[in-house]
Amino acid sequence: MQETETRPVAAGPAEEAVGGRPLPRFWPLLLLGAALLPGVLLVLVGRSLDEPAVQAWRTVCLAVTVQAMPFLLLGTALSGAINAFVPAHVFGRLLPKRPALAVPVAGVAGVVLPGCECASVPVANSLIGRGVTPAAAFAFLLSAPAVNPVVLTATAIAFPGSPEMVLARLLASLLTAATMGWLWLWLGRAEWLRPSVRHTGHRPGQSRWTEFREGFQHDFLHAGGFLVVGAMAAATFNVAVPRSVLETFSGSPWLSVLFLAGLAIVLAVCSEADAFVAASLTGFSPVARLTFMVVGPMVDLKLIALQTGTFGRAFAVRFSTATAVVAVVCSVLIGGVLL
Amino acid sequence: MKRWVKAGLLGLGGLGLLRTALLTDEYLRYVKEGMRPLLIASGVLLVVLGVAEAWSASRRRPHGASGHGHDDGHRHGPEGDRGAEEGHDHSGVPRVAWLLVLPALSLLFYAPPALGSYTASREPAKTVAVQDEDGFDPLPATSPLPITMTDFTQRVQQDRKRAIGGRAVLMSGFVTPVSDGGGGWYLTRILVSCCAADATTLKVRVYGSAAPKADTWVSVTGTWHASGALGTSSAAVAVDARSVTKIGKPSNSYMDALPLTS
Repeated sequence: MQETETRPVAAGPAEEAVGGRPLPRFWPLLLLGAALLPGVLLVLVGRSLDEPAVQAWRTVCLAVTVQAMPFLLLGTALSGAINAFVPAHVFGRLLPKRPALAVPVAGVAGVVLPGCECASVPVANSLIGRGVTPAAAFAFLLSAPAVNPVVLTATAIAFPGSPEMVLARLLASLLTAATMGWLWLWLGRAEWLRPSVRHTGHRPGQSRWTEFREGFQHDFLHAGGFLVVGAMAAATFNVAVPRSVLETFSGSPWLSVLFLAGLAIVLAVCSEADAFVAASLTGFSPVARLTFMVVGPMVDLKLIALQTGTFGRAFAVRFSTATAVVAVVCSVLIGGVLL
Repeated sequence: MKRWVKAGLLGLGGLGLLRTALLTDEYLRYVKEGMRPLLIASGVLLVVLGVAEAWSASRRRPHGASGHGHDDGHRHGPEGDRGAEEGHDHSGVPRVAWLLVLPALSLLFYAPPALGSYTASREPAKTVAVQDEDGFDPLPATSPLPITMTDFTQRVQQDRKRAIGGRAVLMSGFVTPVSDGGGGWYLTRILVSCCAADATTLKVRVYGSAAPKADTWVSVTGTWHASGALGTSSAAVAVDARSVTKIGKPSNSYMDALPLTS
């Protein structure tokens, strides 16, 4: 960070000399300034990096990034592999022909991707590239991080003695994913999606392994950059909004549902751990905690950043807003019946 | 050129992960112990990818201009990122990928410390799980009794038999100053269920001893600070300290461990 800020200062006198103009009379002063300023900046920036708040921010930011990195690698590797090795007609055969039927099937298929939400974005993107109808790919994108066995087991461990919470999470997540898929069929427009021709599949004359490696690398670098953006946003909220503010909302049942939904979006906890966080929010009603666990894997700051990078901003804004609303409604419905 | 940048970014990220997870235990400041194998595997994979990219870049360089179509399709300028998106190959470096440099360098050279008193002072103490009515075993006879902060909180606020009353207990944690002016300071531990973004805080208030510097790790011997009714939720989670000793900072600080009695 420091280096980029100091560079223009250091380059000042050198450029003038190169430009052929005579050195100004006070050039020793300039030289001195050029020598001192970067140092002073470095010390000031360095000092501020050691402020407790900045340190906490950096720790949280790194924590989100480090935690998500293996899953992001898994997701981008899978997406690269789908792109290079799986012929397009495979998905045509696996999924029902009618999009309205393909949506719930794809939602349930989310069970097979054992990872957190970072993995599912690149995979969904490559599915679209391989001819899967976007609505089905989005249902998969939303359900995979919430309904896979790892996450459900974690939920069962976090809420010992209340298996209905696991069931409610499974059903509410599937319902939300399917609803969003159908909603896309009904209202979605292809032009919201960034035209993506990166996933062209296997092209004759190229080594599949090279294609795999290059697609994997490119997706990882791209998604990794957006992951850092999301981690920074999440860390900012995490440090700027103390948890004690939240507890004041736990009294009212309606506000608490909305508030935990907002918290899930802002905290960006990975879906394998959010059950433990939800379990620790003991002041809140079970429905509110269910909402936290349904919204979290589908909409949060790092996901919005990843989706913006993958599908484009026009899509990410509309999709995330709609998903948040649908997820809250579904969790209240399912939670109201089951919990 | 672009390929070397790619190789560098991948390699740097991999080295950062390897340094934090394989060579040191600094990863424990950010995530749980169980992540270690995954982080090492990711680090190795990234380094391998970086090396493969560098290798293929150095091999292809001489043919780069001969219309192979891999090194030339890239457009520079403000639309560079877009160009990489729309081009038919993967040779471009997405501009946003440069951001990966920040966490990688931070992990390599300037790793931030584990969360401490700053975070703890801004968060309310975590509510501990409710024990069953007869879930409390008789306390061991050792004195002072080493106890975790969760156990202490449960004993003080939930144990109807009030076994903890009058017992000397030994706990360890780090120091968080009290801001409400009521005296004393907090013995604190931060717990994490997945990564440092979901930190929760355990606090026991310590009376009768001057506050050491914030973030110092200490072990405290003391007895329950009689305030409120012991065994109910009105009981203060606090001790009157008999002795406070400095201890080393544990490498895995995000857990509620028994103090070392050595």
